[in-house]
Amino acid sequence: MSAITLHNVVKKYGAVQVVHGVDLDIAEGEFVVLLGPSGCGKTTTLRMVAGLEDVSGGTLSIGGQVVNDVAPKDRGVAMVFQNYALYPHMSVRQNMEFALRPMKLGKAEMDRRIAQTAGILGLDALLERRPAQLSGGQRQRVAMGRAMVRTPKVFLFDEPLSNLDAKLRTQVRWEIGKLHQRLGTTVLYVTHDQVEAMTLADKIVIMRDGHVEQVGTPEEVYAAPKSTFVATFIGSPSMNMIETRATGGRLVADGLSIPVPTRFGDRVKDGQEVTLGIRPIEIQRVAENAPGAMAARVEVTEYLGNEALLDLRVGSHDLMAEVPADQRAAPGETVHVRLNETALHLFDTRSGRSLAQ
Amino acid sequence: MAYIRKRNRRIFLIFLLPAILVLFLTTIYPMIYAGYLSFRSYDLAKLFVPRVFVGWANYREILSSSEFLHSLVVTFKLMAMTLSVQLVLGVGIALLVVQKLPGMPLARTLLMIPMMISPVIVGLVWLFLYFPELGYLNYFLSLAGIDAIPWISSTNWALWAIAIADIWQWTPFVMMGTAAALQSLSPEPYEAAMIDGNSRWDVFTRVTLPQLKPVLVSLMFLRAIDAFKIYDIIFVLTKGGPGDSTEVLSMFIYRQSFTFWRMGVGAAASFVSLVIIVVLITLFFKSLNRDQTA
Ligand SMILES: Nc1ncnc2c1ncn2[C@@H]1O[C@H](COP(=O)(O)OP(=O)(O)OP(=O)(O)O)[C@@H](O)[C@H]1O
Ligand SMILES: [Mg+2]
Repeated sequence: MSAITLHNVVKKYGAVQVVHGVDLDIAEGEFVVLLGPSGCGKTTTLRMVAGLEDVSGGTLSIGGQVVNDVAPKDRGVAMVFQNYALYPHMSVRQNMEFALRPMKLGKAEMDRRIAQTAGILGLDALLERRPAQLSGGQRQRVAMGRAMVRTPKVFLFDEPLSNLDAKLRTQVRWEIGKLHQRLGTTVLYVTHDQVEAMTLADKIVIMRDGHVEQVGTPEEVYAAPKSTFVATFIGSPSMNMIETRATGGRLVADGLSIPVPTRFGDRVKDGQEVTLGIRPIEIQRVAENAPGAMAARVEVTEYLGNEALLDLRVGSHDLMAEVPADQRAAPGETVHVRLNETALHLFDTRSGRSLAQ
Repeated sequence: MAYIRKRNRRIFLIFLLPAILVLFLTTIYPMIYAGYLSFRSYDLAKLFVPRVFVGWANYREILSSSEFLHSLVVTFKLMAMTLSVQLVLGVGIALLVVQKLPGMPLARTLLMIPMMISPVIVGLVWLFLYFPELGYLNYFLSLAGIDAIPWISSTNWALWAIAIADIWQWTPFVMMGTAAALQSLSPEPYEAAMIDGNSRWDVFTRVTLPQLKPVLVSLMFLRAIDAFKIYDIIFVLTKGGPGDSTEVLSMFIYRQSFTFWRMGVGAAASFVSLVIIVVLITLFFKSLNRDQTA
């Protein structure tokens, strides 16, 4: 049974529509990440699921029951806010107690739950402290603890890591992943950080301007992006995009001519404007006389330890290549590279949609 | 002030001088003079009798006088009446006006008007309202079939009449401070409570009130100091009467000084009230500090 279902869900603020008919199906125990650039409607969608915003159109179901008009407290969800939303005047323990209060559990059960949650999150020593006496990472864990003690059916996270520094972010991200494996609760998680999405998600929902652009596993959205938007949004450094024109079975651009891979069959029409996408890692250095070799001028070299990033100029196009560090070249040098034909992505330039099947 | 070089220090003093002078003439000198008078026998009716030094006699007289103690009791009674109602009403109205409802910003502005009116005018306005036969208040009560209330002519009602006028004037002050504090509270904890299902009452008593406490304590403290000095409204409405039912401390001081012309006694009473206020302030800051370290 699906834990959460959104069917053609719309959100309007007055005359302004900010979420345009989102369809989404989240299975029980699934970790789903809403990913997209700032302002695309991730938070709004999450808040509709939480019940903090009214749904302007469509249906929203949780656990098979339509909850459009169900109060937040009756939806069985718990939310972890971006800025933690802890009660500033209460200790960590009191924060959790207050969250449990509506459940009327009795002192013993309440203490048992708090102790258990504190144990899992490593909060035992912090229970009597107030939020102001905690570090950002600790506050973050308290916020998760306050959601966990209630043992909700669904966890909602809104950019829970955005206030942490880079190192802590990696650590807490890892902890959230571990926690999900352990608890197996359904999670809907909002972020604009693709690394968070790729590492945590069972399923990624990529949003853009209030639309769902693509839904898929991390592997799917990385390997088979359905649009130029997804292709450039997922992966770091991002995918190279070259605008070409299909001419006599080849994709032609200034300084570049590549045969259309056969797997695209007859979907590439002669004369069509085609955007060619290639990830930096799929550009290899080759010998000058190797088949498919193209001359490229090195503009900038970035040494990263194991590998190096080369800013290349091919004809009038800039390409980024990621090569083993020992293959790097000095700026100004001319090198020869080949695009890995099996890793080419083709998009219709007008619509931005993928030409793959 | 280490950063001001010696050469500049004189210029610095010259600029400050006018302010210091005004402060001295209007505040410090009268205070010192009152302190001086409080140890003298000074009768305005006997202008040419020397003002002899009488030691603590004025203070002894005041502290053993039942009239003075009575005026203290009335002052604190009035303070308790006005502050408690202003606190409850002020917080209640503040909770209302911060709601995102149509008309609330306008309501908020209108509600602030009483605060801007001079207390003497407030006294006069309420005098018209309280007037036994011609007053509006009793007229409206009669419409509701309620007998006329001798607002300012009965010892049972006079203190309430004053309290009501003061509450009318100063509840907006509490409302304004509370509303500002309410709006500075971050909304997310409230959303968390909404999702967790905490009742409105729990949220108000356990989330809102504790966070408002420092502001409410400060507002009440300011109101307490004002209430301690209340004068204008009473002077216009009852002049301390009927009998001595509304004779607060400041009325007592006024009567000693300008009705009985006993300036020495009046000055001593002023000093006693100053001491009480200073004690109040000290206790207040002590309790604030305790709150912050807790
Ligand atoms: N109360 C509101 N009234 C009008 N428009 C709003 C309101 N709240 C959000 N919006 C608009 O809705 C759109 C989506 O906002 P939302 O907060 O969901 O974005 P987001 O994807 O969470 O972005 P971010 O990554 O910056 O948090 C934005 O264009 C925003 O301006
Ligand atoms: Mg957001």
